[in-house]
Amino acid sequence: MTLRVLTVDDSRTILAMLHHTLSNAGFEVLQAEDGKQGLDMLRAEAVDVVITDINMPVMDGIEFIRNVRATGQHNSLPILILTTETSQDKRDQGKAAGGTGWIVKPFDPEKLISVIHRVVH
Amino acid sequence: MSDLDDFKATYFDECSELLTELEEQFSAIEEGERDADRLNAVFRAIHSIKGGAGAFGFSALVGFAHAYETLLDYVRDGRVDLTDEVVNLCIRANDIVADHVNAAQTGEALPANYGAAEKTRFDAIARGDAVETDDDGGAPMDEFDIEFTPVRVDLEVFADGEAPVDDAFEVPPMTTMEAGQWEIRFTPHQALYARANDPLLLFRELAALGRMSVRPVLRAIPPISDFEPFGVYASWEISIVSPTVTEAAIREVFEFVEGDCDISIVDASLGGVNPPPEVLVEPVWEAPDEIASLLQLSDDEVAPAFTPEPAAVAVGAQDHFEEAPGLSFAALAEELKTLAPPKAPPAPVESAPVAAAPKAALPSSGDGDEHGARTAGVQSIRVDLDKVDRVVNMVGELVITQSMLTQQMDETLRARYTELVRGLEVLAQTTRGLQDSVMAIRAQPVKSVFSRMPRLVRELATKTGKKIKLETIGEATEIDKTVIEQLSDPLTHMIRNSADHGIETPEKRLAGGKSETGTIRLSAEQAGGNILIIVEDDGAGINRERVLKLARDKGIVAPELTPTDEQIDQLIFAPGFSTAEAVSDISGRGVGMDVVLSNIKKIGGSVHVRSWTGKGTRMTLRLPLTLAVLDVMLVKVGGGPYVVPLSSIVETMQCSRASFERVPSGGKVLQVRGEYVQVIDLAQRFEIGTEVAAADRFVVLCETEGSHKVALVVDDIIGQQQVVIKSLEENFERVEGIAGGTILGDGNVALIVDVQGLKTTPLHQSAA
Repeated sequence: MTLRVLTVDDSRTILAMLHHTLSNAGFEVLQAEDGKQGLDMLRAEAVDVVITDINMPVMDGIEFIRNVRATGQHNSLPILILTTETSQDKRDQGKAAGGTGWIVKPFDPEKLISVIHRVVH
Repeated sequence: MSDLDDFKATYFDECSELLTELEEQFSAIEEGERDADRLNAVFRAIHSIKGGAGAFGFSALVGFAHAYETLLDYVRDGRVDLTDEVVNLCIRANDIVADHVNAAQTGEALPANYGAAEKTRFDAIARGDAVETDDDGGAPMDEFDIEFTPVRVDLEVFADGEAPVDDAFEVPPMTTMEAGQWEIRFTPHQALYARANDPLLLFRELAALGRMSVRPVLRAIPPISDFEPFGVYASWEISIVSPTVTEAAIREVFEFVEGDCDISIVDASLGGVNPPPEVLVEPVWEAPDEIASLLQLSDDEVAPAFTPEPAAVAVGAQDHFEEAPGLSFAALAEELKTLAPPKAPPAPVESAPVAAAPKAALPSSGDGDEHGARTAGVQSIRVDLDKVDRVVNMVGELVITQSMLTQQMDETLRARYTELVRGLEVLAQTTRGLQDSVMAIRAQPVKSVFSRMPRLVRELATKTGKKIKLETIGEATEIDKTVIEQLSDPLTHMIRNSADHGIETPEKRLAGGKSETGTIRLSAEQAGGNILIIVEDDGAGINRERVLKLARDKGIVAPELTPTDEQIDQLIFAPGFSTAEAVSDISGRGVGMDVVLSNIKKIGGSVHVRSWTGKGTRMTLRLPLTLAVLDVMLVKVGGGPYVVPLSSIVETMQCSRASFERVPSGGKVLQVRGEYVQVIDLAQRFEIGTEVAAADRFVVLCETEGSHKVALVVDDIIGQQQVVIKSLEENFERVEGIAGGTILGDGNVALIVDVQGLKTTPLHQSAA
């Protein structure tokens, strides 16, 4: 069964790279450019895992994760935080909001896939 | 690798947008609008540039952007005040980032320490103002350096500390690589489940490290009467036997759940205690009755209480149970049995079943019944420009076919087939609408080009020591994307020219009774089928004496000619012409304004300059709304079809009714309402001759730049229509007086008359 990954990032470059890496690995990829679009997407689409950036316009990643968890509909949906932050700060915030794990940019394709497999059945 | 190139192209595209955004935000910030939204936007822009740069290994860019970003982060959270000094530093930093991006794109190398001074400054500002609160300990930001190394990641390598440099999570000290048996005690907290982590997945990962056995510790499970469906009761004891596995590798598995569980990892082989695994696999099973009774509950009773969390089930930790997609409790019970069969002694759970069980037993959480509604909340889509162009082209052809069909309908046909005529009319309307819509897709506000100019003006002001203010008007005016792309260079040249040659030094201005600060006004407006882009300055105006002298010296104008003021003004666009006394790096390399002209001509536009001595100069770019389809008048000259762009035609008349007059030089002029207009006989001009009697020919009165008119004499006027422009340069070569070609509905090729070119050529020709 094809896993569906929702990628949320305001950078087209990152979205494109995620898309490339993920679709090559056999995932179906959905894209959103900010947290709000991500939420709308989750309302309409069934998704197996979410990868989200933190710094985004409109609704940032932290708020997005918080909102996803707050719906109560997605308690078991793994959410991976995509971060370039060197400090633990953002990551901890993301985790506190309900993030499952994280991926550090720039991501190595294999690492990306392996991290997804760490959190998805 | 083409994929990578694609990504890079996307990245550089994005960078240019982000740099534009930075430009805009800082313009506003400079004006005093220092709200959080702007600061966040600025931060995000740099953050995105850095993110992509990291992915491509542009380490110099990453290094600089990182230091800059850190400063912005401090500014954003108030640790650093946004003083004018900081704003200026940021504006300077934007330029450096732009240079880095540019260097990365072109492959040119920047000096190794490029931007080092600014970086040091960031550091100093960040340290100076933020020592107290800096929880990063004030680590020097310029130490940051990441290299993109596409390493094959395996856990051992990772454990040896070869994680990417920026991967700053804590890696515990390595233990020796002695063949080992590791004992792990793992007690998840509620938070672990709340964040969608799952012990089962952790076990699966651990199993990859070595031979693993898992024993659940269920003694904390209360009697069923006290059982909380979402309480956390279970912990696990895991042993892993592997000669190579390290503590760090094990910790790595628990990386995401650190803090969300209690975990102890003991190297059992170190203490010399190395009992066989069989002994360790002693079951810890203290509440079989309760579990058994729990397992006996019917599905109906229990199912709604459980989310589809495999391992978390009996020990469940969900805050909510809205998500209960009809999962059979029996399946879960089965799974529990797999994990910890209530029969003693249980077999060690091998890795395979652990990994496989959830897949077999559970549908993936997202694959529920929500699949039906597929309405994404996205308001815009990104489409490859090629695809749009294909549509534009086909619509263009459609428009032509439609106009051809309409032409075919002569009066007899019209009378006979009224339904067909009506159909054709509707078709014509729809086609028009379709064309407009398609063009609208390609249209973009000129803002994207205009917004790059403030920075340019700022730079120029600094370099020339002049005070210059830029005003922009009509940024929302939309033009075809291709035109916009071609607009940047000419506009840059024009503004450089204004700043360099137009605007005077503050002293001169004051002496001339003007305000100290010069103004360059950049405006865009739609005028009929054209877009006018006007660059206007309130500087000294063109020094005509000097221009003419230079043009004569350079042989651009023949000595015997006395051009009008306006012709002199236009000379600044002549190839190889430059009035700069010394070649500066601003303008004046003699390859400025002629580039403007050729670039603009390439996109079917024209340039006109008008100057008022001591008051200023106005340069007007006239650009077509679209490049794809042109409204033309089809005329005949020497038996062949030619088209004249409708946008330049003022009126047409029969030669027999026109009043021509001869001028001493031998040329002809046409008198129209008291105005004398230069006459160009296309048959003569194109040296094709004609057999049509002079009186039967027609005059097409056209308007060129600066509302100057020119009268073209043609053999016959056939009618109006739309054509798709085909480039002559691409298919043949450039021909003076011809702007391009087109294929008519009947398959014939017609040439497009370059009205502006025809009018201006003679002067240049005589100089050659």
